[in-house]
Order: sequence, then structure tokens, then C-alpha cells
Amino acid sequence: MPNERRNLEPGSGFLLKAKLSWSAVRVGPANEVTVTSERYAIGLARAFGGAILFGLPLLMTMEMWSLGFSMGRGRLLMLMMFTLMMLVGLSYFSGFEKTFSLKEDAMDAFAAFGVGITTSALLLVTLAVITFDMSWGDMVGRVALQSVPASIGAMLGRKQLGDEQDMKAEEERKQEAGYAGELFLMVAGALFLAFNMAPTEEMVLIAFQMTPWHALALGVLSLLLLHAFVYSIGFSGQENRPEGGTFVSTFLHFTLAGYGIALLVSLYVLWSFGRTDGVAVAEIANMLVVLGFPASLGAATARLVV
Amino acid sequence: MTQDHQADENRAGKPAQQVPWLEWLAAGIGSLLVLGVFTVIGWQALNGSTPPAITVTVDTVAPVEGGYRILFRALNRADEAAAQVEIAGTVSTDGGEEVSRVVLDYVPGHSERHGGLFFTRDPRGGSLAVRATGFVAP
Repeated sequence: MPNERRNLEPGSGFLLKAKLSWSAVRVGPANEVTVTSERYAIGLARAFGGAILFGLPLLMTMEMWSLGFSMGRGRLLMLMMFTLMMLVGLSYFSGFEKTFSLKEDAMDAFAAFGVGITTSALLLVTLAVITFDMSWGDMVGRVALQSVPASIGAMLGRKQLGDEQDMKAEEERKQEAGYAGELFLMVAGALFLAFNMAPTEEMVLIAFQMTPWHALALGVLSLLLLHAFVYSIGFSGQENRPEGGTFVSTFLHFTLAGYGIALLVSLYVLWSFGRTDGVAVAEIANMLVVLGFPASLGAATARLVV
Repeated sequence: MTQDHQADENRAGKPAQQVPWLEWLAAGIGSLLVLGVFTVIGWQALNGSTPPAITVTVDTVAPVEGGYRILFRALNRADEAAAQVEIAGTVSTDGGEEVSRVVLDYVPGHSERHGGLFFTRDPRGGSLAVRATGFVAP
């Protein structure tokens, strides 16, 4: 019995060999740690929890249902492939399971997508958004679009709902990945928050209501908050300023880069939903600033959530 | 439980069994679902691009308090979805014409939506024509 307790014990510090000698997390020949099915099942349960929790706001958003059947099929397909790639990356930094190779990251990504699709399908049927007299294309489209936030939620489920976190290992991975990893996490964070806002009509409406002065003010506010969130507030995911880096170089390297990512991700998401079709460039710029606001906050806080 | 663990422990020595079966199952089901969804959407992407074509059929005509009610089905036989589809029904009797309208929020491709129209004249006593008069691209 005591042995078994240890088997389930979290956060055994798989990178520390000293600990591995007593821990039940086992090391194979290629220095791979094995995970038992029970532990995987716990991770899977958390993934379902995450999929429901993070997917819920959009599950109950009307525009998501109609976009599911009305948005361009090619764009929907692209969005799903993009999501799959993001899932592989997220699995590397924080999945519902500790991973050790690209193969396992890919397996985790597919599992998370499966959890996202299953959760979305079940909930959409329960909410009567999907009924069985609909055409196949309609049903699959609704589930497919909804599975994007749900599968990201599934991937984040372990971190957010689990108590067994290996913060040290996660931090090490983030350190190893360096600047590129930092940028990837910003893309993931921006995508998740932008995706939560972009389907609503309000994004376009707000852009129409705003004067250029409003847009400029919102852009400046986004930049200030982005900078403040990442560097000034002492929270756990805080990024250290590079050694000897001045305010200006930090601002250029992280804040401006982050805002650039937020705007690009916003453009991609708006284009996916067909919100930019036939719209004047000036109006698109307004929409980008509007959606860039949540996207930049997502980019800034990605380190906390992931 | 303990025995299970020991069995696990013994097998874990072989590298081929390092990934638990549940992980294979979850990843396998996930891959199948992803493949299925991609196939359906990909098929639509390659085949589906005809603009909306909506036909309306009348199901029932019944007297209700204060007039008559007809129930109809609007079927979109094309691939693309139509938004704000206006359905207009006209009852022509000897006494004149009566037009009732309703707007359906969406009619997705290859799908049907149900609705109803009210009239004060009896549609059975004259001629009834129900058709879609327009839509906007979503």
C-alpha cells in the first residue's frame, strides 16, 4: 500500500535523478519516464474538465453556432490545422501529461483534440444547438468550430485543475525554449483570448462606433497594459528583464513584439470568421485594435495560464 | 490494485510498453475524430460553393383563433448558408389579396428550417403561394 501511494504521488521531479531512485515514476532505457494508465486517466478527466470550463463561454455564444455552418470551409479547415499545431506546442510546455518527445506531444495533441470534439458534441446536443434533423455538414461544422477553444481548454486543464504540477520542469522548459518559446506562448495566449471575443458582432460594432482617437487611445492602453502585465507586476509568471537590457530594448523585444503578435493573431482570427471580407483597410485597422486589446492581454498573461 | 501495479512494473522494463494503453486509446480516438472532422470539412471545401437556393413547401393549413395558420418548411438545396431569409405567403381569394411575411435567421446549406404564417382569410378558400423572397450572405 505505501508503494502504491507513492505511485500516485504528484510532481516527483522527473528531471532530478536523485529523486527518481525512490520515486515510483520509472525511467526506461532511453531515459523516458513511464506513466501508468491510472495517472493518464486522471489527466484525461482534467482535460474534460478544462474543455468544458474554457469552452463554455463560446458554447453559449450564438454567433459560434452560425459561424459553424456559414464560415468558409477552407478557412475552418485551416483554423483546425493551426489549432492542432498550437496544441502540439502547448503540450510541450504544459499538457495534461508530461511529455518527452515529439511523438508524445503529437499524441497528446490528438487526444486533446479528441476530448475537445467529444465535449463540444455532447454539450451542443444537450443544449439543443445540434439536433439530428440537421445536415451532416451543419453538425460537423458546429462541432469543429467549437472544438477549437474546447481542445485548447483540454490541454490547459491539467495545469489549471490539477494539483500535481511540476512547476520546476515547466519553468525549465520555458527557459530552454528562450525567446522563440516566449513568442510561441504569446501567440497561444493571444489566440485563446482573441478567439473568445472575435465571433461576436460586438467586435465589429465597437470598431464602427470608435473614432480614430478612440482607436489610438485603445492601442496605447493595450501597449501599456501589456508592458505592465509582463514586467511590472510581481506575479509568478513574471519575465525577468534581460541582463543589462534597457527599458527601450525590453520594450522593443517583448512589449512591441507581443503587441505585433496580438494584432497578427487578431487579423488571422477575423479573417477566418470572414469579418474582413470587403471591408476598407481603415475599418479593418479599427477592428484589429479592438480585438488586439483582449489579444494583447492574452499574450501578456499566457505564461500564467500555460 | 497492488498486483496490477506489480504487473505494470514488470512490463515497464520493456521499452515497447512504456506508453500506457489508455494513452494509445485516447490518442487513437482523437486522431479518428480529427480525421473524420477534417474529411467532412475538406470534402465540403472542395465540393461546396453553390449560392443559396431556397424552396418552400407548405405542410399544414389550420384554422386558429383569429384566423388561419400555415406551417412551412424552407429547404436550402445549395451548399452555402443563407441569412435573414424572408418568406412571403400570399393568399388570393375573390375578396382580394393578403400577404404575410416572416424572416428566418439562417438556413444552412442542405438544411431546412420550419416556420409559420398567419392569415385572416382562409387559404383553403383561394390560392396560396409561399416563397422565399430574398436573403443576405451570412
